[in-house]
Amino acid sequence: MPKDKPALELLRAVGDAFGAYPFSDEDLSELVEPKLGMITSFQDLMDELDQLRTVDLGALPPALEIKPKASRSDE
Amino acid sequence: MSDVTGVCWLTVRQLSRALVNGEISIHDLVNVFLARATELNPASKAFIDVYADSARAHALKLAEQPGSGMLYGIPYGLKDLIDIKDRRTSAGSAVFADNIASEDAHVVSQLTAEGAVCLGKLNLHEFAYGATGENALYGTAVNAYDSSRLAGGSSSGSAAAVAWGLSPFALGTDTGGSVRSPAALSGLVGLKPTYGRISMRGVTPYSWSLDHLGILSRDVRDCAVILQTLAEPDLADPGSTHRPTDQYLSEIDSLEDLTGRSIGVPRQFFYEHVDPEILGATERVISFLEKKGATVREVETPDLNFSRTVSLTIQMPEALSFHMPWLEQRAGDYGKDFRTGLALGQQILAEHYVRAKRLMTHYRTQIDDVLETVDILITPSTPIVAPKIGAVEVETEGLTEPVGNAMMCFTNFFNTTGHPAISIPSGMHSLGLPMGVQLVGKAFGEASLLAFAHLINSQRQFKLPLPEIN
Repeated sequence: MPKDKPALELLRAVGDAFGAYPFSDEDLSELVEPKLGMITSFQDLMDELDQLRTVDLGALPPALEIKPKASRSDE
Repeated sequence: MSDVTGVCWLTVRQLSRALVNGEISIHDLVNVFLARATELNPASKAFIDVYADSARAHALKLAEQPGSGMLYGIPYGLKDLIDIKDRRTSAGSAVFADNIASEDAHVVSQLTAEGAVCLGKLNLHEFAYGATGENALYGTAVNAYDSSRLAGGSSSGSAAAVAWGLSPFALGTDTGGSVRSPAALSGLVGLKPTYGRISMRGVTPYSWSLDHLGILSRDVRDCAVILQTLAEPDLADPGSTHRPTDQYLSEIDSLEDLTGRSIGVPRQFFYEHVDPEILGATERVISFLEKKGATVREVETPDLNFSRTVSLTIQMPEALSFHMPWLEQRAGDYGKDFRTGLALGQQILAEHYVRAKRLMTHYRTQIDDVLETVDILITPSTPIVAPKIGAVEVETEGLTEPVGNAMMCFTNFFNTTGHPAISIPSGMHSLGLPMGVQLVGKAFGEASLLAFAHLINSQRQFKLPLPEIN
């Protein structure tokens, strides 16, 4: 479910409490109201990540080393 | 060799033949490209550093001990994320302005062992963050076909150097399409091999999970020559595969009749909101393959509308992890756009990151399954031609989006799956700009992928005119 739009204060508080580096309000503002055309807003990212929760991943692990798929004749 | 200007447009194999036949010396060949780089770099902004003295010295040394191999005496350029011992790796950033490498990157050692001569380091989007290649510090690399437009990025200088005739080939990196997209926009061949196929040791990371080293060349056969050298496993790189290399060159001519072969066309997403001329060019490539005997089959891919989100959720925490030591000391030296991206990385939860990595597995498995039913996938490389420098948004067939998103929207998915993908020219747009088509192959199926790509790339109907550079 989409969350409330994160305010600058919330992003600042998260950074202050858990982050190793204190990003400036100028940097964090770009996440709230993007103007540079480079980054998706934090709200959009959260909304899309929420939608991706609907994909049933079962017990799939995170991406590991790539192995060529065994052909049927090898199985 | 009488036509010195023409030398700059020759392929690696043609240059190699000219050297072997004594039509030109290695020293003269290197000087041709150095002179051209000096003359045209102010306009192209391809190079950050040109190594004129060391390149000439290397050329003289090679001439004393004639060697064999197709890369012997061939000049090349390196994206400035790739280390050369005792040289600066700037990563296109003020943060790394005094970052001197202590060792050669593995790929540099491989090329040096083959006798290739490095001309210098090439421009890029700061730390490879961004598709446009815009760089406030070193200037923005310019498209060889229209100087008001972008060369593409993030390997912008690598594409510009080859397209402007300043280097016969170049290496770049590709985290979301940063080799394939500039190759398409600049009329070149751009290969991103399977994840782990080429060593990343000695390359400044952007996102370990998604970074691939890639090749930009004039044609597919050159690409195969270079891959043959670079694909050797690097046991000292934790991300490198231990799988032995295939014979890329010998297989490249084996494909002529496509009877019994099949081409997958993922029409959903990859064929939507695309410039009609690019779509038409892609359809002509598909028709050509069909006439050669291939079966063309529509295939389904996962829902890709959020694949960029998945990629971003992996990229930014990984980038933040690497950059933290410099961020603490030199935050003011970072460009604002990249620093904002790093700020995003700090807000992403561990659960988000792990979910995105699991979605990588999900996507990879699904594409593996699709590639069980067809030999290759074919898509446009980009939905747009090279955008104007400074453009922020582009509109394509009813969809308005940030220019960087548009430039990477068809390429970044295959960084999450890790499958090999190549962009080759598909024709010229009526605006006088190149268009590209992307082929995607099975994991570690570069030999077959290159054979398909060469079959298309060797046809006169898909050849591009050289850019008119004054």
